[in-house]
Amino acid sequence: MNPRRALLGVAAALAVLALVVFVLPRLTSEPAASPRATPSNGELRDVTLLLGFRPDVQFAPFYVAQQEGFYADAGLEVTIEHRQAPDVLVLVADGDAEFGVADATDVMIARTSEIPVRYVSTLFGSFPVALIGPAGEVPTDPAALAGLRIGTPGRFGSSWHALLALLDAGGLTPEDVEIRAYPQFNQVDGLSNGDVDLITGFRNNEPLRLEARGIDVDLLTVDEVAPLPGPGVITGDELLASEPELVRAFADATARAQAAVIDDPDLGFAAAQVAVPTIAEDPETARAVLEATVALWGGEGFSGRIDLDLWERGYATMQELGLIDGSVPIGEMIAPEVLAPE
Amino acid sequence: VRTLLTGLLSLAAFLGLWKLATVVGGYPVYILPPPEAVAERGARALASGVLWDHASVTLGEIVLGFAAGAVAALAAGIALGKSVLIERVLSPYIVAAQAVPILALAPLLDIWFGGGLLARVVICGLIVFFPIAIATMVGIRAADPQLAEMLRSLGASPGQITALLEVPSALPVIFGGLRVGVTLAVIGAVVAEWAGASVGLGVLINIANQALFDTPLMFVALVTLAVIGLAFYGLVVLAERRLIRQ
Repeated sequence: MNPRRALLGVAAALAVLALVVFVLPRLTSEPAASPRATPSNGELRDVTLLLGFRPDVQFAPFYVAQQEGFYADAGLEVTIEHRQAPDVLVLVADGDAEFGVADATDVMIARTSEIPVRYVSTLFGSFPVALIGPAGEVPTDPAALAGLRIGTPGRFGSSWHALLALLDAGGLTPEDVEIRAYPQFNQVDGLSNGDVDLITGFRNNEPLRLEARGIDVDLLTVDEVAPLPGPGVITGDELLASEPELVRAFADATARAQAAVIDDPDLGFAAAQVAVPTIAEDPETARAVLEATVALWGGEGFSGRIDLDLWERGYATMQELGLIDGSVPIGEMIAPEVLAPE
Repeated sequence: VRTLLTGLLSLAAFLGLWKLATVVGGYPVYILPPPEAVAERGARALASGVLWDHASVTLGEIVLGFAAGAVAALAAGIALGKSVLIERVLSPYIVAAQAVPILALAPLLDIWFGGGLLARVVICGLIVFFPIAIATMVGIRAADPQLAEMLRSLGASPGQITALLEVPSALPVIFGGLRVGVTLAVIGAVVAEWAGASVGLGVLINIANQALFDTPLMFVALVTLAVIGLAFYGLVVLAERRLIRQ
């Protein structure tokens, strides 16, 4: 074949490929966050909620809100989808989904990286990550972590931020311990196998999985030494600016459903059983996970409102750890007015 | 000169289309960074040493994983090609192992092999193994039976027939497998790092994507992997030209 023709053919193929992959979807998709009137006359507004992880009992408030009419009463038809944690932030910022659930620490970093998302309401009143190890072998003083082998998913996410905060509280750095990465979140296997002394994990998950394997555990929680805000509901700047009432309606309905689960965990468990069929395989563990999760939410009187004092202290901690540079003020990361007291 | 010019024109067209996609599509940097943002971020990562710190580890894993996987695959391919019995016994396992998603198995392999360099070389080698082993088997089987018969009549041992006839005549096919295998070695190293590692380009992708929300840095790691893949592929092609010409 003539080389010039071959080159033209390759260029044309690349052009078509680029058009199909990148440009057409952009031109043909309707931005989810485009301004639309708040529905009336019983018409529900379709919105998408992105959750990380996978369908799980710990998302019971969202299942209750869907199944018990909290969202419908607010004029919303909510579709739940699951994505990797970083993708949740990016897709919500880009308007591909209206709402998501993300770690507060990730929101701080993403916002500092000019990703336009806002944390609008709190799901976990307590930071859910802890250092976990066999009973009697978990130091109570962070300084005593020096030299230990610690398993963690990697140098990212809330687990890493918690570990950094704990080490910093003990005057240590990651170089003072032996970090072993478990990017597939299977650090429980590493601890069970004796490859590490401690692991990072969520207080409502890994301890229960270890106990199910017959390993009694102790925890060193971040809350004890370096308070950080927990995961919450996020939305994009554009939607918050164009439809603040929609954001308020979603956050309020979610918070009321969450309060209902706190009052009556059976309600949450029943909704989760409908939404997550695999719970039938091990309902006891799922029930234990739900109860451990509820304990992290904040107890009676839960409102979903942002704890400004906790955010300020968490922001200072993140800055001290070098995870954010302080160039973006807290006011641009959160929207406490969404669930402000009446 | 013509090849170089064609390559440069192709690269310019690719970069132009990439830029066009970002402009026409209106993508923000955190969704699809333009080439100049990736270039600028790459320059910073090079200057700070971060890119080399990660790339050097991945390069080592690729070389060791490819070498281990290729040597094992060549030996297995020769055995499979020469013995129908071995082929009948082992083929189902080899094919089944290839069908198992390595992403699911990699975290367990990481734990079984101690979670260090050995584990990553094993994972990388496993990914490399299949195409080279199959290509070698096919190549060995394709040797001219009349030439083999002639060597046998001259008193050549089975080993000599393999060394003097079957392997040389299979080289074009074996190199086809090696070309595929060397690109898979790059993927294998990244998969291995995703199963458990603290440094490497796969880790840098995770850090950029999940810790820093730095999409240009993620693209820098991806481009680096692509360049490494192209370089190793080119080395295999060079080796092929030299060996097959001789």
